[in-house]
Amino acid sequence: MARLQLQHVTRRFDNGQEGLSDVSLSIESGSMVFLTGHSGAGKSTLLKMLIGAETPTTGRVLVDGSDVSQLGPKQMPWYRRQVGIVLQDHNLLEERTVFDNVALPLRITHLPAKDIARRVRGALSTVDLSDKGGLFPKHLSTGEQQRVGIARAVVNRPRIILADEPTGNLDPYLSRQVMSLFHQFCDLGSTVLVASHDIDLIKDQGCRILHLSQGALVQDTAGSSEATP
Amino acid sequence: MAGDTKAEDRPGVESPLTVEGPKGERLQAWFADHVRVASDTSLFVSQRLMSSFLVWLMVGVALTLPGLLWVAQSNVQAINQQWQGSAGLTVYMKLAASEQLIDDMEIRLNRETGVERVIRTTPDQALQELLEQSDESVFLRDAMAAVGSNPLPASFAVVLNDSSSYLQLDALSRKLSAQTGVDDVVIEMTWLERLRDLSDLVNRLGSGLSITLLIAAVLVAFASVRLAIESRLGELRVLALIGATPAQMRRPFLYFGSAYGIGGGVMAIMLIAVFLNQIEAPLQSLLVSYRAGIEIAGFTPGFLLAILLVGWFLGVAGAMLALFQRGGADKPPS
Repeated sequence: MARLQLQHVTRRFDNGQEGLSDVSLSIESGSMVFLTGHSGAGKSTLLKMLIGAETPTTGRVLVDGSDVSQLGPKQMPWYRRQVGIVLQDHNLLEERTVFDNVALPLRITHLPAKDIARRVRGALSTVDLSDKGGLFPKHLSTGEQQRVGIARAVVNRPRIILADEPTGNLDPYLSRQVMSLFHQFCDLGSTVLVASHDIDLIKDQGCRILHLSQGALVQDTAGSSEATP
Repeated sequence: MAGDTKAEDRPGVESPLTVEGPKGERLQAWFADHVRVASDTSLFVSQRLMSSFLVWLMVGVALTLPGLLWVAQSNVQAINQQWQGSAGLTVYMKLAASEQLIDDMEIRLNRETGVERVIRTTPDQALQELLEQSDESVFLRDAMAAVGSNPLPASFAVVLNDSSSYLQLDALSRKLSAQTGVDDVVIEMTWLERLRDLSDLVNRLGSGLSITLLIAAVLVAFASVRLAIESRLGELRVLALIGATPAQMRRPFLYFGSAYGIGGGVMAIMLIAVFLNQIEAPLQSLLVSYRAGIEIAGFTPGFLLAILLVGWFLGVAGAMLALFQRGGADKPPS
């Protein structure tokens, strides 16, 4: 069954420009897919549609068969708790420790404190930051901060991980590390959609690539089996 | 970067997409969230104690005047009620009036229709009262010694029954004034009427001023919560991104408003207590001089609770205004 589906999605802005033009695509459960294209191609608009921050002018955005654009304000938070989001600038809270940043999605779900601690430790271990939980984000390198952002995105066991330029501020070595993490989560069953314009890095991953240009899906390249995570 | 994620930590990829919380856990979650937010608010306020104190002080000052007006009104009412229960006048005899004349006047007063009680005050008693009420009794005593005789006349406090009207009082006053040996008759209502007039004026002016100050208290809470929202915009956007409900995002700021309002209420109570403490002695002295021995009324547990509730309400109103004005702060980051 398709986890994510866009059916003839068009997003027209108030100034008449189209962020997305009649885009249709389907992404299977447990797969890792890259979304690429130049700035303004529509990558971020598509990701915003998937987190419910934008609604399509026409068409439907389906997640496990549910139309995200039809979710009301009371339903949207519950949907977002099942989506992990990684952003280029991490969006970490500077006055909270690494542990507290990662624990944030769990605290709003009122999980017992011991379960929060266990799952945060697990997430930090996954991104190899077990010993950094007590530090504040300003004490971490850019790569470490990005990994904290990833830990926060996955700590809630999301069924979908959306990443918008997650390696934009990272060197090639750290970028490969981040991609390796995404592959791990993909292996655990999450569906991962990564928006990036780093073509070399994307090609190395051997995953399906969706190429957007001026809001339209112009190329859909199937992944190879020779991925080098 | 070895991951040791357990099998149980795998996402529920095969479970259906959920778009609402489990019903059975809502109340528990609601309560847990309030506890979490209350704890966060205490931390937030304690980390900014100086600025919080200033907000409390501003809200407290704004609440103090309405609170004092309420206390003043309660006391004026109490004085009115006491006076209504002991309507009367004071008859001052001439200094030269003989003891016989004074005795006759006492008998006559007791026979008058509507008179409930007659309290006779001899010149010596009057002098003693005067000395007791004066802070400068030593000076007065010396002055009296220099004069050589008591300059105060004998007097009668005439208490009428409750059914006596002002017209009856006035008629009696005129009749007594014409009697031999009477120097002056003072209707005790005069000062009270002036007090009532003054009280009405103060109430009208005070009501307008109170409303203005209460609005100011709301605006202080509004500005403070607005600042808190601005300082936590990043957090709000992240919270929206990870699935916090609008109520979860609003709740901390409503708690800030509550904390500012209740803190302001506590501050107002302290200011009012200090103010009442300062005026208690001269007020008692004034009332005693009118034979209206009254305790300051109104500063009751109910009044204290009301001040706290009003403070809380104003704080929450300010917070809601700030949240309404800063609508859209809960949008995810772009």
